[in-house]
Parts: sequence; C-alpha cells; structure tokens
Amino acid sequence: MEQKTLLTNKPIPAELEAKACSLLCGASPLMAIVGDLNLDGKYGVSTLYVCADRLVALDRFLPDGGVMMLFEDIEKASVKRLYGNAIFRVEDKSGKVSDLLRFTYSTTDVCDAVADFINKTNEGADIDEQLLVVKNTYHNLRSFCPKCGRKLANPEADCMNCKGKGKMAQVLYGYIKPYIKPLLISIFLSVVTTGMALVPPYITKMMVDDIIPGKNVKNLIITIAALLGVYLMQYGLGALRAYLLRITGDKIIVDLKKDIYAKAQYLPMKFYDKTSTGAIINRINSDTTQLQNFMLRITQEAVVQFFMMIGIVVIMLVMDWRLALFSLVPVPVVALLSRYFGKKLSPMYRRLWRRSSSISTILTDTIPSVRIVKSFTSEERTINRFSRYMDDWFNEDKRAAKTASVFPNAITFFVTCGSLLIWYVGGRYVIDGSTDLTLGVLVSFISYASMFYNPVNFFASLSDSYQNALASTEKILDIINAEPEHNFGKGNSPKFFEGKIEFRNVNFSFDRSKKILNDINFVIQPGETVGIVGTTGSGKSTIINLLMRFYDDYEGEILIDDVNIKDIDMEFFRSKIGYVQQEPIMFRDTIFNNISYSLPGAHVDQVLNAADVANAHTFISRLPNAYDTTLGERGVGLSGGEKQRLSIARAVLKNPNLMIFDEATSAVDSETEKLIQDAIDKVIRGRTTFMIAHRLSTLRKANRILVVDKGRIIENGSHDELMALKGKYYKLIQIQSMSEKVAADKAAENFE
Amino acid sequence: MARNFIDPNTVKFTVRDKIFVDAELYTGEKFTMLEPHRLFPISGLMKYISLLDEDGNEVFIIRDIEQLLPESKEVILKCLDERYMIPKITKLIKRTEKFLIWMWTVETDRGEFTFEIINSYQSIKILYDGRILIKDGNDNLYEIPDLYALDSRSIKLILPDV
Repeated sequence: MEQKTLLTNKPIPAELEAKACSLLCGASPLMAIVGDLNLDGKYGVSTLYVCADRLVALDRFLPDGGVMMLFEDIEKASVKRLYGNAIFRVEDKSGKVSDLLRFTYSTTDVCDAVADFINKTNEGADIDEQLLVVKNTYHNLRSFCPKCGRKLANPEADCMNCKGKGKMAQVLYGYIKPYIKPLLISIFLSVVTTGMALVPPYITKMMVDDIIPGKNVKNLIITIAALLGVYLMQYGLGALRAYLLRITGDKIIVDLKKDIYAKAQYLPMKFYDKTSTGAIINRINSDTTQLQNFMLRITQEAVVQFFMMIGIVVIMLVMDWRLALFSLVPVPVVALLSRYFGKKLSPMYRRLWRRSSSISTILTDTIPSVRIVKSFTSEERTINRFSRYMDDWFNEDKRAAKTASVFPNAITFFVTCGSLLIWYVGGRYVIDGSTDLTLGVLVSFISYASMFYNPVNFFASLSDSYQNALASTEKILDIINAEPEHNFGKGNSPKFFEGKIEFRNVNFSFDRSKKILNDINFVIQPGETVGIVGTTGSGKSTIINLLMRFYDDYEGEILIDDVNIKDIDMEFFRSKIGYVQQEPIMFRDTIFNNISYSLPGAHVDQVLNAADVANAHTFISRLPNAYDTTLGERGVGLSGGEKQRLSIARAVLKNPNLMIFDEATSAVDSETEKLIQDAIDKVIRGRTTFMIAHRLSTLRKANRILVVDKGRIIENGSHDELMALKGKYYKLIQIQSMSEKVAADKAAENFE
Repeated sequence: MARNFIDPNTVKFTVRDKIFVDAELYTGEKFTMLEPHRLFPISGLMKYISLLDEDGNEVFIIRDIEQLLPESKEVILKCLDERYMIPKITKLIKRTEKFLIWMWTVETDRGEFTFEIINSYQSIKILYDGRILIKDGNDNLYEIPDLYALDSRSIKLILPDV
C-alpha cells in the first residue's frame, strides 16, 4: 500500500484527533471524514477514520463518544440518504445496524466512496485500486479555487471568477474599449456644446446692463446674430453627437448580446437544469438594454453634466463669489440624500428584477405550451396566474416608484430653496447698492444657478439608474462568468474512431440529494449494438447523458478506444455521435435545413440519401413543398413518427461512429414504429450503437443488453442469456408480452 | 392502481429505528421496517405520508397525521423529524458576498451554521404561504418560516434577495 498521507475533507478538530488515537490502537488511518452534524441531527462536529482493516467513529452521541469496528465484523457499510442529510451506517455480522456518522449533503460523495471502499475491501478487492477511487473523490471534493474559495468544475479548471473578468467595471470597460474613439469624439462635442450652452446667460447680462439701457440697436443686432450662431453650433453639434452616441451604444449592446448568447451555448446542462429559459431570455434582452442606457448615461450625459457643472461654478465665482457660495449651500444636502436614497433603492431594484424574471419565466412556460393550455381549458387559470405575477411586479414597482419619485423632487426642492436664497441675498445687494452687483448680473446669475442645479439633479438621480443597472449587470455577469463546459482535450482529435466504449466505476448524481448512477462498469466492443433496459427513472438516459458529455462531474472514467472522453476534443467527440432522442426537436425552418442541421453545407444528394435511409423521403416528397416545407415551431405540421424519422435522417447525415437511440420509438404507433425500426436497422450497421427501448421486443437483435435498476447495472448479457437467467429482464419481458397480448386481444375485439 | 389509504383509527405504529416504524393493523396484519415519506415535504408537512417498505414500494398512505392515535402520531412525527432536515433560520448573523457568491452564517433551530449560496436568484424562493426556502451550494435546504418575525437586521439583510 503506497498512500501515507491522511485523506480528509476538512481539518480534524484537535480534541477528536486525540480521542481517535486511543481508539485506533496504533493502526494508521488512510482517510477521515469530518461530518457537520451530530447523530441527533443538530449541527456539530463528528469524524470517521478509516484504516485498511478498521474504522473509528467519533460523535458525542455514540457510546463513550466513539467506537472502533474491524472490517471483518462488518457485513455492509452504506450511506442512507435522508432529506437534507444522510447517515453513514454499518451492519455487523449479527445483523445489527449502527449509525456512525451524520452529515449534510456536502459530504455525501466522499461517504459513498468510503462505504464502497469498506465493502469492496471486505469482498477481497485490491486495496490500492480501491484507495485510488476514494482518492479521486477526495480530490474532486477539494477542487476549490484557493483564491476565492469557489467550487471548481474540475480540479484543473480555471476559476472563472478569479480570471480577472469578474469585476463589473472591468467587464463593462471591455465592451466600451473598442469604441473609445467615437466616444471620445462624442465627449469632445459634448464639451463644446456645453460651452455653447453657457454663453446665452452671459449675453443676457450684456443686454440687460449695457445694450438695452444704452439703446444701441446696432449692438443689439450683432449680439442677437452672435446668439443665433451659438444656438446653431450648439444644436447642430448636439445632433451629430446624438447620432454618434446612438450608433456606438448600439454597437456595444450588439457585442454584449452576441457574447451572452455565445456563452449560453457553451454552458453546461447543469446550468440549464437550474435556470429557467425565461430568466436567460430576460438577461439577453432587457438586462442588456438596461445596461446600455446606463453606460450611455455614464459615458455621455455624465460627462456633459460634469463639464456643465464645473463651467457654471467657475463663471458664477467670477461673476460674484459670495452669491456663488450661497448657491453651493444645498450641494452637501443633495449628496447626502443621494447616498441615502441609493441605499434604499438598491434592494428594491433587485426585488423588481426577480419579479420581472418570474414574468418572463411564466411567459416562456405558457406561450409555447398554448396547446396544452387550450386542451385543458386552463386559459383562465393561466391568465390569473400571469395577473398575479404582474400584480406582484406592480406592487414592487409601486414601492420603488414611491422612493424613486420622492427622491428627485426632494432634491429639486432643496436646490430651489437655494435659488430663493440667491434672490434674497442678490436682491438685497442690488437694492442697497452696497456692492457692484447689477441687475443684469443678478438675472444672469439666477440663470446660471438654475442651470447649475440641472447637473446636480442629474448626479443625484444617477444612483437610481445606477442601482437599476447594477441589478441587471449582476444577472449578465452570472452568465458571462459562469463556467462553460470544460474542453480539456481541445485539439485532441483521434484519427480513427473504432467505437470501443468502457464505463469504469462511474458514479453520478444531479444533486447530492439522490445518487442516480452507482458503480457503473461495462465494456462495449466496436460495432456492438447494446440495449439498455430498466424501469422509468432507473438511470438509463443518465448513462447516455454522461456518454454525450452533457454532464462532466461524475466520478470514475468513461473511455472510448481506451482514451478518457474528457481528454478528447469535445466538438470532435460529439461530431462522432448520432443522437436520436425520444422527443425529436425541430427548428422553425425548412425540412431540408432541419436535416442538414447536423452537417452544414451538406450536398442535396447527401440529405436525400439520409432521408431515404431514415424512411423519411417518401412522406417528405408527398408534401406540397417537399423539402422546402417550413415547419412550425418545434416541428408543428408533422406527426410524431415523421419528426422522429427526420431526426434519424439528421443523425445519419453526419455519418457518426456511434449511434444512440433514446426511446426513439416509444411515442409512436406500431406501424410507424416498424418504419422507424427499419430505418434504425439500416443506420446501425457497422456502428457501435446504444438503444434505450421501451418496447423490449425491439432489442432482440442487440448483441448485448444491460439491465439498469436503481442506478446499478444488475444484468448484462445477450437476450438469450438474460432469458435463461430468469432475472429482472426475464420478468420485464414476461410482463410486456402479457400486456401486449391483452392489448392485441382488445384491439381484435374492437375490430370485430 | 388505486392507492391504499389507511384508516387512521385502524393502525398502530411502533418505533423500529430512527427512521423506520413497524405497523400493526386492526385486522392483525403486521408490517415491519416501514419508512415514512412525506408526499408533500414542502407544502403539506402533516398530510399524505407514504409508508414505504425496504424495497421502496409503497405499502399505504396516511392522509392526515393529526387523525392518528396519539401514540402513533408521536412515533410518525418523530420519525419524520429525523428524516427531514430543513433547518429553520431564526437569525442571519452574517451575510457576505464575493463574485456573486453569498456566504450566510445563520442561527437555526439546529444550531449555528455557515453555508454558501451560489446564485441567490435561483436559490432563494418565496413559497405561496410566505415561507422562504433557501438552497445552498451543496443542495441543502433551509427555511425562514416568517421573514418578518426575524430581528430587524436579519430582515434588512434578507429582503433584497426575496
């Protein structure tokens, strides 16, 4: 035995370590599991040490706080999954069952591996080999990013959060950077137009103080002409700036949407299992628009307003520094209010986002399923449900609206009070004549002051759109930063694909609450046709899902031609598999394009040939628009059997080495089944084939049949071998033959 | 096949193990090592309890625990309490976030615990009756029976996520 260092899922508390020493009696432990519950189901610390021939369990609810058991006294070790927790228990030779360790789902994987280790060691398996399996489980368990602590998809995987892409500003800057030039031009134009906007009040002052009292008509005309020129420049350049801005903003958002969509294509199935399509569509559509608005506000309006504010302050200080200081009085109040309201608004927008996401989810759920809604006359129920969600959204928005509406008006009130102050102080100065302040300067000052409060207002209300954008950005980053399917074997495309497939000690669970596959082991030789049978939920399709690499986080290895499938280029690997599923998926496109989806650019002859092999050509050619027939959404317009044959044609077209049929004939009548079965017979020749079939009679030609039950392969052999075995397969055949006979008799009776 | 609903007055349950019970019917028929499972573990805690045998096959269903004989009710409740672990959060002690991963340290009816929430938008759900259900990164569940019964600081920290 090679291993010397103790495998452990987390540091062992010192007091338990000391107690273990006395119970281990000198034996050196190979592995330890630190549990997070006590046997009474309350949070606490407990530990299980496992040596080559014994185990020691420590928990304050065990007799004397701990027990030692020799493997030779153990009949079976197992993990009993409860709800939200699990128990490691052992059954001794006398049949007595003892609970040794209790834990939440965080430790179930490693406990499963340890239970297997004990059982297999007891059965006489090679201890080093078993230790290796356990080691891998521990290794996977500890695949955390050392920097941020996030669990990685694989021990070698990069942490998406720490690759420097995670920070919001960095991500957004990445999208702005390519358009920095037009944005800078636009900023320059903003500065110019802002400067222009500052001129008219000054001219007003000249008119009030000098030109009109001086009755100088010539100067009046010149000044008005100058004012016209300023207005022309201001609005002309303003239009140019607006155009530049819109185009640049659109480009940024196009890039962002493209990226999110592209990223969504490479996300693992686990992401889709947990995220509703409505939420994803919401992110691609409305969240990006939300973000676009904010980015433009920041890069453009904020710049304009900033320069405006600085310019006005300078002019006001030059005109009359005392009045200028008075006009700045409300600014700290505005800043404080802005901060206060920002904090209040942030959670509201997060909640609002949740509500609109729920609305999108209900839309994507019910609109495509309108047939079901109608067939169950659930229109009213659906409308009520939608109304409830809309009302929820409205109530949340009402709450946010209250704060969001009070905020700018409160600010405006304070700044208006500021202008009253200027009127009072400035008016006194003019009336008293105590300073050199003229009426013209005061009027012009008031104009600047009201202009000054616009940017103040703008920055104050910016936090509203900032909080809104922040909520959207978080959702977008959730996709952008999500870990994609890992393609560790990128570039590794074997020249020849024979099709030998091996599952080695494969264990898998979608989540930790239930183990779906348990210790799956089998070898399929190239060209073999293998049937997988079992009751619903036994794990048949999951075996295929793993083989297709839809899920990568399983324990054990899956090999093709003795190479781990994770080490093969994913695109290449999948291109060698023809996959026909129970519910064929069709796109809203022509039949031709639907078939050639698997081989873009395929020649017409190839498509016709594939359709012919799939027994689809005859029905397609009878359609008025034949191969040009445009299918409705999800293939509306064709029967289930017809869609299935198109999906077989699609699979055939790419000439795969490995064919997978996942209950391809389960949803069709007997006549159509025969047509599909004929097509399948033609397709599988010379290819390694997996067939999951509901009707066992279709598997008689299979070289081998795997019988799956509760996530384990319980029988493996040819039809004749399994029939002779008189096990589960035999029973399933018996039941099915009986029910088929009854159905046939009934059909005959009805016919008569 | 019609489900076998049991008349609550005709059955007596006795403890077998932490999570197993034995049942004896009025007719004298006996069942051993039955495992009570909630058919509605989230929405109906006291109703529709399925009793499974060792092979996972359903033997019968109890419609309403409340209608069982008091001793039997106690046995079943104790068993269910052992099986179903959805700690009730009584206080949110600490809530930190980094890269959209939330770390919550909570006080529950089963003690203090720290867990990670990978995606707060998908992992925190409000149920129809106002309860809040939280799923952590390891698929463990937690429940907040009434958000507004918590202390004001906890409410303030949780509110943005619901």
